[in-house]
Amino acid sequence: MKDERTLGEVLLAKGVSRRGFMKYCSATASLLALPPAMVPRIASALESARRPSVIWLSFQECTGCTESLTRSSSPTLEGLIFDSISLDYHHTLQAASGDAAEAARHAAMEENRGEYLVLVDGSIPLGNPGYSTIAGISNVDMLKETVADAAAVISVGSCAAFGGIPGANPNPTGAVAVNELVKDMPVVNLPGCPPIPTVITAVLAQFLTFGQLPDLDHYGRPRAFFGQTIHDRCYRRPFYEQGRFAETFDDEGARLGWCLYKLGCRGPITYNACATVKWNQGTSFPIESGHPCLGCSEPGFWDEGGFYQPISTARIGGGTALGTAVAAGAAIGAAAAAMSRRRQAKTIKEG
Amino acid sequence: MELLDFARGPALQFGLYAFVIGTVWRLLGILLLAAKPDHSAPRKRGGILAALKVISSRSVTAREFRQDTLYASVLGYVLHIGLFVIVFLFVPHILFFKGLIGLEWPGLPNNVIYFVGVITAGVGVALLLRRMTHPVLKLISNFDDYFSWVVTMAPIITGLIIPIRFGIRYETLLAIHILSIAVLLTWLPFGKLAHAFLVFFSRGTTGMVLERRGAKT
Amino acid sequence: MSATHPFGAGPRGNIDPILNEVMHALDRLLTDNESTAIDLSSLPFGPGEIEELEEQLGIGEIKAELDALGKSLIRETIYPGVWWLEHRNTDGETAGRYIEITRVPEILKAQDADIGAGLKQLNRRLEPVGDAAVT
Ligand code: HEM
Ligand code: HEM
Ligand code: SF4
Ligand code: SF4
Repeated sequence: MKDERTLGEVLLAKGVSRRGFMKYCSATASLLALPPAMVPRIASALESARRPSVIWLSFQECTGCTESLTRSSSPTLEGLIFDSISLDYHHTLQAASGDAAEAARHAAMEENRGEYLVLVDGSIPLGNPGYSTIAGISNVDMLKETVADAAAVISVGSCAAFGGIPGANPNPTGAVAVNELVKDMPVVNLPGCPPIPTVITAVLAQFLTFGQLPDLDHYGRPRAFFGQTIHDRCYRRPFYEQGRFAETFDDEGARLGWCLYKLGCRGPITYNACATVKWNQGTSFPIESGHPCLGCSEPGFWDEGGFYQPISTARIGGGTALGTAVAAGAAIGAAAAAMSRRRQAKTIKEG
Repeated sequence: MELLDFARGPALQFGLYAFVIGTVWRLLGILLLAAKPDHSAPRKRGGILAALKVISSRSVTAREFRQDTLYASVLGYVLHIGLFVIVFLFVPHILFFKGLIGLEWPGLPNNVIYFVGVITAGVGVALLLRRMTHPVLKLISNFDDYFSWVVTMAPIITGLIIPIRFGIRYETLLAIHILSIAVLLTWLPFGKLAHAFLVFFSRGTTGMVLERRGAKT
Repeated sequence: MSATHPFGAGPRGNIDPILNEVMHALDRLLTDNESTAIDLSSLPFGPGEIEELEEQLGIGEIKAELDALGKSLIRETIYPGVWWLEHRNTDGETAGRYIEITRVPEILKAQDADIGAGLKQLNRRLEPVGDAAVT
């Protein structure tokens, strides 16, 4: 099962010409946010690169992340990068099932000991192992067993990276993120609901090209894609600075493409590449389509208040709490005044 | 986002309660005090009108002193007008108040706010320098004056840094901004910044007393 | 610009800075023979902005179409030495847009590996003739 061919050989076998390969390398450079001048280096690295073995585990998830990646039926350039890994286990995509599938997983682990990548989508329930099982194995057990000899783990999507929907308040299954369970090896978080497919392939491409994992931020996200906020790269930013805001989804401002801050845009506090990489082969991204950013690549984004509330909305106790504060202030004030009145009266009497 | 959550949640909540409790406390504590008995016969009847007169007349320096205090008065006005514009006419701020009290009003473009912010910060520094160098002011200033200056300036400075960034993450800067606001709110009713609400009562009282004595106000 | 164009009331964002960059790159091409490539996917374009940039650069004398892993359009702009490259995948979706400032884009040139493969193929075709084959 172990594929010893280099990527160059695999592509050649597929009848890809050198020009096609150069195109593929340009796309890889774009993906990795490397300048086009790096294309020759990428080409020589990719030519001799061996295809990494990948085991994909799906836990408490909606298959949206797999869908995001495999949306296209015919090979796209990014699809090719995905094709050039050796996907040895993915229970949604593979034909084998049951014991045969588990055997494939074990075989891949055995043959690529210490070198294979584990991709995970979905969060892991700790509440009751029975909440989510595969072939009778609980998610926790399967994760721990599979990562034991892996080179690295890539958490695909907000569920695997941060707990996502299953982990949202009140978190009935006790769902946790992968990096809460895997502590002794690199875990790359690729959050997003779903993550941008380009970002997933880029991380694979980097591993493929340079044999390295990307540089990560404090949430374990690749800086190349999560280094800047949506707001910092948003083409509507000039409207934000000019104070031109859409007030509703169908007013004049919305039609003129003004800033969506007042409609709840999370752009200023959300780190993701949507504004530049965009979605659907660079077609557009949510804000371009007129919808505020939901902050889907940030931890706990489901629990950060209403999606359509501006982010600076006061999220602290309103009316009754303040009423209590007024009453408390009044009580202290009255007591203080009464005390000084008594003191005053005493002074007058004595004086 | 943890620091931001703390700043937005417990810290700001604490600041707001301290502000409300403190303000009501200080106001009632003073208003409920017994007035000192004054046994003299009033020259004139010092009513509400007399109070209002001084509240407004003291907003302009008496002609005799105008020349000497012009610099400080102008700076003082710019500081306060700047603060007002920044706090109440910046759209993200307005949306904060909207969440709190349900009311919304039109704001100014952010660029204008940044400009006003820089001016206000500069004026704040000028006022501090004056306080530290003016022979009399220097003597009568205490910790309260300097601390009040710091907590007033902190939100302006931290707010201005948000759009500049200096390579620091937005959430971190925002969290610091909000923490500085929590400190300001907590301190405001208890130190000299309480003049924000007491100034009207002190002037009003002065007006009534002076009127009663028949002094020129 | 129509009234509903998002930039009708706002600034023109990326276009002028890019044209500026292109101008400097052209200058370097002429003086130092140095080529430059600009990857447009790394820039935050608003709706319609790329199209406007494309329009500003215009259509020059050469137009080529490459068919490898999907189509690619390679076109010289009205500024000689400035090329507009657009890679498509097999679905016809845009996979990358670049501006190259160079005499001939590298991808247009025949590549040694392909030349070698072609040579071998031609060789095999002529084999029966025997002596005509290059070895
Ligand atoms: C030029 C000066 C200032 C600038 C540029 C500034 C900027 C900002 C910004 C960008 C936010 C973020 C809103 C968000 O996205 O969540 C904010 C929030 C806030 N600012 Fe300022 N600010 C300034 C001065 C002040 C001052 C002087 C005060 C009060 C004394 C103040 C009070 C607040 C409050 C209460 C919030 C809401 C906190 C929240 O987001 O929950 N700001 N400010
Ligand atoms: C309606 C509200 C307010 C009124 C009528 C008022 C009035 C005044 C007056 C008359 C002075 C003395 C001016 C001078 O020394 O030249 C003063 C000083 C000052 N006020 Fe206010 N104030 C108000 C609100 C505030 C608020 C909300 C803050 C802070 C958040 C503030 C901060 C200051 C500071 C820092 C000074 C000292 C300036 C210096 O160093 O000279 N004020 N205010
Ligand atoms: S739409 Fe959102 S991301 Fe864009 S400028 Fe406005 S607040 Fe920022
Ligand atoms: S715009 Fe925001 S919510 Fe939408 S996909 Fe991007 S990061 Fe997620």
